[in-house]
Amino acid sequence: MNRSQRFLLGKAARTVIVLALALLCALPLWYVLINSFKSSIDMITNPMGLPKHWVFSNFGDAFSDGTMLRSFANTIILTVAGVFLQVLIGSMAAFGIVYKRSTFTKIVGGVLMVAFSIPLQATLLPQFKMAAAVGLVNSLLGLVVLYTGSSVFCYFLIVGYMSSLPSELFEAAKIDGAGAGRIYVRIVLPLIKPILTTVVVFQTMSTWNDFLLPSVFLSSTDKQTVVLQVYNAVQKFSTNWPLFMTITVITLIPVFIFFFFCQKWIVSGLVAGSVKG
Amino acid sequence: MKAQLMPHRHHTRAANLPDNLSALWFLLPIIIVFGVLTLIPLIQTFFYSLTDYDGYSPNLNFIGLQNYVTIFQDPSLLQALGFTLLYAVSTTLIITMLAIPLAITLNSAMWGRGFARSLFFFLGVPSQAIIGLVWKFIFSPLDTGVLNKFLAGIGLPSVQWLAQDNTAKMCVIIVAVWMQVGWHATLYLAYLQIIPADLYEQSMVDGANGMERFMHITLPQLVPGIAVSMFLLMTGGLKIYDLPYTLTSGGPGTSTNTITQAIILRGIAQSKYGLGSALATLFTIACILVIVLQMKATNSLEKRFA
Repeated sequence: MNRSQRFLLGKAARTVIVLALALLCALPLWYVLINSFKSSIDMITNPMGLPKHWVFSNFGDAFSDGTMLRSFANTIILTVAGVFLQVLIGSMAAFGIVYKRSTFTKIVGGVLMVAFSIPLQATLLPQFKMAAAVGLVNSLLGLVVLYTGSSVFCYFLIVGYMSSLPSELFEAAKIDGAGAGRIYVRIVLPLIKPILTTVVVFQTMSTWNDFLLPSVFLSSTDKQTVVLQVYNAVQKFSTNWPLFMTITVITLIPVFIFFFFCQKWIVSGLVAGSVKG
Repeated sequence: MKAQLMPHRHHTRAANLPDNLSALWFLLPIIIVFGVLTLIPLIQTFFYSLTDYDGYSPNLNFIGLQNYVTIFQDPSLLQALGFTLLYAVSTTLIITMLAIPLAITLNSAMWGRGFARSLFFFLGVPSQAIIGLVWKFIFSPLDTGVLNKFLAGIGLPSVQWLAQDNTAKMCVIIVAVWMQVGWHATLYLAYLQIIPADLYEQSMVDGANGMERFMHITLPQLVPGIAVSMFLLMTGGLKIYDLPYTLTSGGPGTSTNTITQAIILRGIAQSKYGLGSALATLFTIACILVIVLQMKATNSLEKRFA
């Protein structure tokens, strides 16, 4: 067997093994998807196969009590507002550090480094008490405020990238008479677009998927997020498994679409985060 | 905008002032966020950990380190501590051992490579909570549980997956591995792709076989990637909450309780605010310790392999 034949054989073997493994790993996703088109009895007798009769009514039923759209709206509000503030505060802080280095910025940089290693669990109980004191428990606004805590993570991703901008850029703009605000908006933000995209994509994912904060801070159905909707559906539809699967499918569709278009940036966020993390 | 090099100017304190002031304005939001959401709560957590505070009544007494003593005498808290450690260590090791070979395979020539990469990666994208709920149905003890149905199909007795301590722990860990292995393989892929190709060409000339190439080139070159991936897994593992909570609700009993779940339960649901705060304080110290140790280990490893 010559070299190119061996290469082809190896390639074929790898393809078979990896694709078999991939399909095996995908079985739970298939399980969720295919059972959303079945009746309860069909799902019990035949959990993995194609439906005997395709049932589409589950999708209508999932929206019938009106909570689903509300959950989507809540999650969108939380994610958009939360991520916007995180990225704004994080990028402003990075600019403040890079714009004019001094003892003060050095200290702030050091404190933020320490802040980065403090887990949410350390501050969760007092945060709950504070939120209760100002009436921000079971409130989307309260959760948005808590999500600004992630701006420290955003700061770390952005400051590394921003430091690589040449400092002559700032000097030249200052000579031209531009103030710090103008430099930040007109010069720096456009130049750091790649890292901003990465951070936005990454934070969108983690805010959208969050379970800990919503489960602790949100209690009423009209405030619940998509993840809480699925969580509550387990109890609500404990005897109607296909309906649970349908609700899961509906909530995974936007995640899948997001993944499809943003995979590249999720990877870059993963790598950038890992460099700083 | 022309970026010209400006001649060096003599800076005085007065000339620096406006710039320093602007820097302060830009740093102000994050300083407020840090103060309100991290610093003040952190001090409170530590303060209340030394008291018998119940979360709402105004009278509280200093009880010294009593809460810390209670933690080490409460079997359910020790179980939460034990499972969190087991989870963090075992997922870190298993995922690392699986993700590296997966990444190397996904980096080699094969058909459907992009599809396979995306699929493994996608498993880590949905919310852990939702994934936990889905697997709860798969592991279900009822006839409808697909895993038991499969076992029955090949003539094996059914297993009470989530109703026994050890299998429940195993199930949580298996789902965590299933979910995250592609995510970390993706991270390793990024590191594999920056290994200089001439290292491999040189070894081909030297007649090294596949295993030798892996041991002497790939693995040492991956050390920074391994450090990063294990760091993320370890710190993420210690903070775990969503997956066990949705998959097993911490059960059976308290066997898959996590520290985070214990903090929330004690501090918010059971009005043992002081005890919850003591747990949170210990947890924070443990997290910082792990971060410092791992940084030290990474530095010395990188020095050795660089």
